[in-house]
Amino acid sequence: MKRLPAIKTIVVFMLIVGIAAFQGCKTVDSKNEKKKVAVIVSTLNNPWFVVLAQTAAAQAQSLGYETKIFDSQNNTALEADNFENAIASGFNAILFNPTDADGSVTNVLKAKSAGVPVFCMDREVNSTEAATSQILSDNYSGCVAIGKYFVEQMNKKGNYAEILGLVGDNNTWNRSKGFHSVVNFYPALKMVAQQSADFDRNKAMEVMESLLQAHPDINAVFCGNDAMASGAYQALVAAGKADEIKVFGFDGAEDVIKSIKDKKIAATGMQFPKVMAQTAANYADDYFKGRKLFPKKMPVAVELVTQENVGDYTGYGKNDKAQK
Amino acid sequence: MKISKYIIAFVVIVAVAYNAVYFKKLDEVKASKAAKDFNAAQYAATFWNTKLLPNLNKAIDVTRLSFMLSRDPQTAFENYSHALGIGNLRYFLVSGKGTVESINENDVSVLIQTDSIKQKITIATEYIFGNAVRDATGLIDINEFNNTMDFNNVSAEINKTIREKVLPAFRQQVKKGNPIVFTGAIELNKEHLDLSRIEVLPVEIKIL
Repeated sequence: MKRLPAIKTIVVFMLIVGIAAFQGCKTVDSKNEKKKVAVIVSTLNNPWFVVLAQTAAAQAQSLGYETKIFDSQNNTALEADNFENAIASGFNAILFNPTDADGSVTNVLKAKSAGVPVFCMDREVNSTEAATSQILSDNYSGCVAIGKYFVEQMNKKGNYAEILGLVGDNNTWNRSKGFHSVVNFYPALKMVAQQSADFDRNKAMEVMESLLQAHPDINAVFCGNDAMASGAYQALVAAGKADEIKVFGFDGAEDVIKSIKDKKIAATGMQFPKVMAQTAANYADDYFKGRKLFPKKMPVAVELVTQENVGDYTGYGKNDKAQK
Repeated sequence: MKISKYIIAFVVIVAVAYNAVYFKKLDEVKASKAAKDFNAAQYAATFWNTKLLPNLNKAIDVTRLSFMLSRDPQTAFENYSHALGIGNLRYFLVSGKGTVESINENDVSVLIQTDSIKQKITIATEYIFGNAVRDATGLIDINEFNNTMDFNNVSAEINKTIREKVLPAFRQQVKKGNPIVFTGAIELNKEHLDLSRIEVLPVEIKIL
């Protein structure tokens, strides 16, 4: 009977050792477990965002992480579900292309409170405290360059129209502000109309058709993205005015690069979705390795593509053959 | 007595409620918040006086830079260029001494000639835009800014200073054949380097 306490002590001791060993194994296992990176993208219906999402996932995989792409289908509610799923499924970081600058903030904050860093790509959220970092095209400076080229091409005078993107989108206004920060210096350049076509090609075609009726004397049109530039050009062709009115876009989409080569469109601003996506994945990698200080907003340079230098470029980036 | 107590209480409640609610225009609130948050003009002026001007002596001679860029562009970009963001557009702080070849509508052409070098550059006098001067010194840290519009506005203010304080006297006096010295910033594309079109945004420019 006296032996019982000793046996009890040994059993308890062995149990403690066993549990500790098990915990140790578990820790080693979790250390060896691949970290997971979620890519949540506004839409996969637009090739530009497909390039963005796939590049982000590919870069994260090349750095040794498991990845999954979530499509928010331009729906903030679906985006919220994607965040909940990603957090519940144990993803360790989110590479994020938001659907709405304001509406997406709560999703990012939800991830932040769950200890999951979020790196925004291309589109920003209207909070400097939510995301770990936001890697964004320098829309404003890109449109400063377009504005300067526009003034040169117009010889500082003439009438023009502006077709805006989504009025609730920050990129729309950063582009417009950058363009006007140059063009407004020249009073002989008169903006006769400014209308939104929601970044949509068909809407831009309709807007351009009605603009031509109201203002048949315009000399140029500046469009907030390339889809709208293509739509506007289509309307000009239908009206027989394609040779008289210069079209300027923004994005660096494949069809517009071809149109610039064919001397149909005057210029665009080349964005680099691959650079943004790769930088976001690299930042996540840095975060896992202990880096904690990131720029709140990291601008990615936008390059002016004109008929003079279009040979250097291809859709969504550099012409590999032209690269040194 | 009771009625007068109720009246006093009512008046106090109404007075407190009235003073607790006030209306302001949303754009006024936004503007005052933005002004409180960041003053681009003040930031640009401080940068100009305390960082840019004292560091102009660190500018690299434009002919020396061109030579290095033609020989080993990667090293030249690594050692002498800066940019606040990422990408191919990089900025250099350069200086030089040359002779005015022509005065054009938007710029002044300058020939820089030594025993072994002959190089043409232009000094921008019309299109003073972009981030070249803001970024060329590498002395602005992107982590100082929470907002993209803040650092865009810094560029706009710096360019305004050049337009209003650096260029007017030069434009008024410059003549073909004048020897000049200048320090300023240039933008070059790392991937598509074109040394035949070097355009300097001047920070200091003097006719000798």
